[in-house]
Amino acid sequence: MRRAIKAFALASCLALAGPAVAQAEPIRVAIGYDPVSLDPIATSDNGSIWTQLLLYDTLMRPDRTGEKLEPGLAESWSVSEDGLTLSFKLREAKFSDGTPVTAEDVEFSIRRAASEASSWGRFFRPITDFEIVNDREIVMKLDEPFTPAFNNLALFSAAILPKAKVEAGEEAFFNNPVGSGPFMLKEWVRGSRVVLAPNPHYWQSGKPSADGAVLEVVTEASARVIKLEAGEVHVVLDPPLNQLEALDEKEGISVGSTMPYRADFVMLNNKREPFDNDKVRQALNLAIDKEALIKGVLYGAGTVAASAMPVMAYADKDLQPYPYDVARARELMAEAGYPDGFSAEILVDSGKAGHRNVAIAIQAMLQAINVKLDIQMLEGGTQWETTKAGNYDMALSYTTSDTVDPDQIIGFVAVNPERANAYHTEWKSERLNDLYKQERVTPNGEERGEMFREMVQILHEGAPYIYLYHPSAAWAALDNVEGFSILPTSNFRLEDVSIEN
Amino acid sequence: MIGCLMLLVLVAGVVLTPVLSPHDPFALDFASAVQPPSLTHWFGTDNFGRDIFARVMAGAVYDLRLALVCVFGPMMVGIGVGLVAGYYGGTIDRFLMRITDIVWAFPFYVLVLAIVGVLGPSESNLYIAFFLVNWIGYARIVRGETLVVGRLEYIEAARVLRFSDGRVMGRHILPNTVTPALVYSMSDVVLTVQAVAALSFFGLGVQPPAPEWGLLIVESIDYLREAPWMTIFPGLAIAWVGVAFSLVGEGLAATLKPKG
Repeated sequence: MRRAIKAFALASCLALAGPAVAQAEPIRVAIGYDPVSLDPIATSDNGSIWTQLLLYDTLMRPDRTGEKLEPGLAESWSVSEDGLTLSFKLREAKFSDGTPVTAEDVEFSIRRAASEASSWGRFFRPITDFEIVNDREIVMKLDEPFTPAFNNLALFSAAILPKAKVEAGEEAFFNNPVGSGPFMLKEWVRGSRVVLAPNPHYWQSGKPSADGAVLEVVTEASARVIKLEAGEVHVVLDPPLNQLEALDEKEGISVGSTMPYRADFVMLNNKREPFDNDKVRQALNLAIDKEALIKGVLYGAGTVAASAMPVMAYADKDLQPYPYDVARARELMAEAGYPDGFSAEILVDSGKAGHRNVAIAIQAMLQAINVKLDIQMLEGGTQWETTKAGNYDMALSYTTSDTVDPDQIIGFVAVNPERANAYHTEWKSERLNDLYKQERVTPNGEERGEMFREMVQILHEGAPYIYLYHPSAAWAALDNVEGFSILPTSNFRLEDVSIEN
Repeated sequence: MIGCLMLLVLVAGVVLTPVLSPHDPFALDFASAVQPPSLTHWFGTDNFGRDIFARVMAGAVYDLRLALVCVFGPMMVGIGVGLVAGYYGGTIDRFLMRITDIVWAFPFYVLVLAIVGVLGPSESNLYIAFFLVNWIGYARIVRGETLVVGRLEYIEAARVLRFSDGRVMGRHILPNTVTPALVYSMSDVVLTVQAVAALSFFGLGVQPPAPEWGLLIVESIDYLREAPWMTIFPGLAIAWVGVAFSLVGEGLAATLKPKG
């Protein structure tokens, strides 16, 4: 009898405990961007990239410190002595539909990422051949050494996708994708939310800790914060910087921030007068009070930038930013033949409240050297198209590194033509272009670091941009959220995040 | 009366701002950012330390200029079109009225958004957008009135006297058809002020750092809870103008109503 009672009591306890476990909540994150597409080779916007990184795995990935790569689907990897053969050993992993991840899927995915259809093709085309040793071992061949190869394979665009499913129909697949990442797509309401369920076959046992995740798209930063205060979401990304302090003091909410690999700057159209003149470009750099921008617009959450390169591997910590020196700026303007200044238009993404404020401040600061700016607010996509077409004077923008090696960003912001004609500035330095070519075939080490430092130095002096700042990336979370942070690569991982009750 | 008084107060405010509250609406002063209303800064300061009273008053110039030009400009066009259509009738009338039907068929904002979207956001493109859309109402009103008035005996008489068409339309029909258009224009000003502010709010109108009221409001969003004065005062300014013109419109309607 007694035993029976005990057993009954135990059973009731279990019964009570049962629902509590089943009630484990999904983690709700309010983000400002709506994903555009879940096809990793066709996207470059943060909303898409961050979502994809929750759904798909890459062979290796940037670790939490952002300083090196850690294993993803590849358990281990190595490069041959001559640098021409890359070998990978895959872990035993499954896609969310239960099918195993094989070497064939890897070959298919990387070939697809290198294809003409891919907007990231250049990153993978140096890999010219694949050799499948067995289901879990694959070898990639290069024609010449390519140091950023591993780094590039850690990019979201090199996500490993199930070959059979993708080949069965790409459009259908990317509306309802299958990956080997910690989560799988349950529902995607464009412009509103992405609902993710835990991937039951995920290779990191016991993860994800939370019962799924919901990415709520809330474009207005203040509205995101209100949702957090109301307890409707657990985490918000990019709360308005002016509200951080007050938010941190609120009961039950904490604020965190990281310095991501990011640089904000004003692109100058180096093909147009007067921006084709080095002295004008340098004068513009000298005439901006970067410290005041950081204090007044970022509320202290940032550091002054010396170039358009994020401060990351091989960065020259001693490179000094342009000082704030209006007198010298005036001199340079006079030497360049613009003692009375000029008028220009500056494009600003209307979706970025921070950038609008920066533009207003820059406009006021440049009046000191008689430069009159007209601010033109544009939708983000239109701004990209307009600058790409070279149809602009100045444009406020930024770059973030998706990975740990500086090769990605230097190729984007400084090399012309390469990826984007030095991010649409059309500035060109033959020396820098040469260094870029060399850097890519030089093994990691001091020699390669020296090349990067020289490139950034040339970029700094050439001043194809007005260099502004490196902002920190902030988030705010309810106190019961454990383990959330933004990585230096600007994305966030949710498999380690749990909600304590 | 009250409406006129309210407008007068606003105009006086705009004119006297340099004396009353001598702050530069554009100068940045981070040291005095986000200050609540006080004797020095009547409406407080914004995140750049700019005086909000000075900005709201400077904004009145933008909003009233836009609203008045965008209403009375198209009103002239509309009245002309309506007169011609109503007076001549026939093919001309059908042709002009089909155009108004086409424009009328689009919701107002959709059409303005499309025009601004194609041309790009700026103050001058706002003028173009409103000119293309706003004349329709006047054309329809005046045409209807012209059809009625055109059949009255004194118009017949004028025609018999072989007055030119222009003279008949201008001297005899117009004065008797313009009243409803004028009354309508007052409510149109209210709508246009709101539309201008709304378009700027969405980044499609006047560009920063112009202190246009819609822009002031959108710039204040992130400070709404910390510094509500940044939002409230430009909002009140829009409401003020709205109420003022509505009252003026009502007064006009009462005064101009045919007596007897």
